[in-house]
Amino acid sequence: MKKDDQTDKRLSRRNFLKTAGSAAAVAGLAAGGIGISSTNAQAVGDALPKKWDETYDVVIVGSGFAGLAAAIEAKNAGAKDVVVLDKMPVHGGNSIINGGDFCAPGTKLQKENGVEDSPELMLKDMLKAGSYLNHPELARMVAYHAKEAIEWTESYLGARYTKLNYQGGHSVKRANGTINSSGSEVVNKQLAKARELGVVIQLRTKLVKFLSNNNGRIVGIEVRKNYKFPDESTGKTAFIKAKRAVVLSSGGFSRDLKLRQIEDPRLDERFESTNHPGATGEALLAACTANAMDVQMDWIQLGPWTSPDEKGFGDVPLFCEPLVGYGLMVNPQTGKRFFKETGNRKERADAIILVGHPVIIMGDSYAVNKQVVPGRLKGAMDNGAIKKFDTLEDIAGNYNIPLDVFLKEVSRWNSFVEKKQDDDFGCMIFKDARPTVVPPFYVARLWPKVHHTMGGLVIDKNAQVMGFDLKPVKGLFAAGEITGGVHGAVRLGGVAMADCIVFGRIAGTNAAKEKPWG
Amino acid sequence: MKNKNTLTLILFVSLILFLLAAFGSGLYAQPKTKSGVDKSKTVEAKAGDCAACHKDTKKLPDSHVATKDMPYDGCVVCHIPGEGNAGTLRGKLPGSHIHALKDVKCAQCHGKVKKPEPVQMSQCVTCHAPDNVAKKTANVKPNNPHDSPHYGKSADCNLCHHQHAKSEDYCAQCHSYKFIVP
Repeated sequence: MKKDDQTDKRLSRRNFLKTAGSAAAVAGLAAGGIGISSTNAQAVGDALPKKWDETYDVVIVGSGFAGLAAAIEAKNAGAKDVVVLDKMPVHGGNSIINGGDFCAPGTKLQKENGVEDSPELMLKDMLKAGSYLNHPELARMVAYHAKEAIEWTESYLGARYTKLNYQGGHSVKRANGTINSSGSEVVNKQLAKARELGVVIQLRTKLVKFLSNNNGRIVGIEVRKNYKFPDESTGKTAFIKAKRAVVLSSGGFSRDLKLRQIEDPRLDERFESTNHPGATGEALLAACTANAMDVQMDWIQLGPWTSPDEKGFGDVPLFCEPLVGYGLMVNPQTGKRFFKETGNRKERADAIILVGHPVIIMGDSYAVNKQVVPGRLKGAMDNGAIKKFDTLEDIAGNYNIPLDVFLKEVSRWNSFVEKKQDDDFGCMIFKDARPTVVPPFYVARLWPKVHHTMGGLVIDKNAQVMGFDLKPVKGLFAAGEITGGVHGAVRLGGVAMADCIVFGRIAGTNAAKEKPWG
Repeated sequence: MKNKNTLTLILFVSLILFLLAAFGSGLYAQPKTKSGVDKSKTVEAKAGDCAACHKDTKKLPDSHVATKDMPYDGCVVCHIPGEGNAGTLRGKLPGSHIHALKDVKCAQCHGKVKKPEPVQMSQCVTCHAPDNVAKKTANVKPNNPHDSPHYGKSADCNLCHHQHAKSEDYCAQCHSYKFIVP
């Protein structure tokens, strides 16, 4: 045993290299690459590659709203070579599957609809929803530059917004909806503009690690090219030099089961996500390894309006949200209501998690026909996420609800609707709401899905990433969901687009202005 | 004495590491295909001659008619297109096989090269123009797979239509459209 101990000791890295000479060093490098030496080298910068495979002025990681805005503005600010990398086989990340609501105060659509609004009011709403945990300087940037940002997407990119929508938590209607109700209207036009300006787009290219020089300045990145998500054994290592800066805009980590459970242990595999499958946290963690600081990582938003009976975001949210204040939510196990239907995203999601199993939302024909867009109702009925019943007894039978309690609870709710006041939970009951009595009844099960990660990298109002030494991490900018602080505890609907475009543009401009390191 | 032992051990460990590195990367350089296909044969093999490449691995049920000399037109006498998954070849054969059955040779997409590289979408659209493809599937329910709100008509063919592996329904990440992907 003793001998073994001695051998182990002698096999320390230093001795290993010294005694065994070059043969061992070559073998070590071939087997482990730079991994062996990086731990010791970290404090004084990374072992930089002898030869960079590619060189750009600005390297952007992520091809959603923020990344493409950064690419366009980097070019416009004079950067010669700009590349946008994305690990996925498609561009656009979550941006291309988002609902296309862009919150901005004082827009053309608001004026057409007679809505009075101001940056002050938008900031007030953001801070209130964020429990005043927002970094005020960042929230202010978004509220005060959102109008300019949406106008940039219209006049410079050609994006079209055709309807003004309401999003919960805002004081007024300020969500400017794209013509196709999708973020793709903006992201595809950004992509076209970026290409027109000569930006290089590389898909299936995964960021592995940031490379810093002796001063801790980010000088480039290690990537895997031709990476096939999610197979970690795929891709070929390459080193990309960023002469001026790297912009990190690779989104949030809602789909990262491990990381989100570290931040919020409740969010285990019982919770699906509305995000695209690539919304994982490795790029964020790679930045932290390179000294970038993280903040508010455990503020993770769940959508309380999603169904466990369909994939992703689905159709049920657009059944559930228009129904609250007209229909009731019931815990099938008790047959009773359990929370204020019109509560905010966070309150409701927390209440359902506390119940511990899916709950139901129901509306009668009057409410559903009045409130729900027929296409959405049909979509969710076709995929089975919404079911139709002729009687309340059928509902109880289907969801195993204790019948007597349930019937009593529905009539109790109906009495609240009659007097427009909910004595149990203080649900807002709308003027035109009527008692739930007209068959057929429509029912969907609800179980929250992880939707947005408010926390992320610390940035200042110039999108400059801050380090654990509370100083700027030179050569690194970040924008969009990967950053933290803009939204505090809760991101309001429609503010993600504003956040991404405002800070994406700032990050790109400032990255291009950074002095080249070599 | 002790030092000598250590040195021997170190050299031994280095040798193993070196062999691992050299042999390990060697494995990656020459991937064996699934189901033991002999790749050198695939270029000149007849599309319907399963055994030419798959050798002893049975690919069709015993009751299947002989396919060795059969062209694609012969297949679709029984596998009638448009009659659901069971009635067609769709989703049963990798895309490369359907191409081969229709007499599209490897080199037509990969070029005449020793080491064929993955084919880019720009190659696919020389025959399959996106507008035509979208028109062809305009009536597919519940939505046209070739004209989506996200990617329009420009989604990369290879997201779904793999040529040398089973094709997939990329939309299924978020949607339950249950597309049958050839």
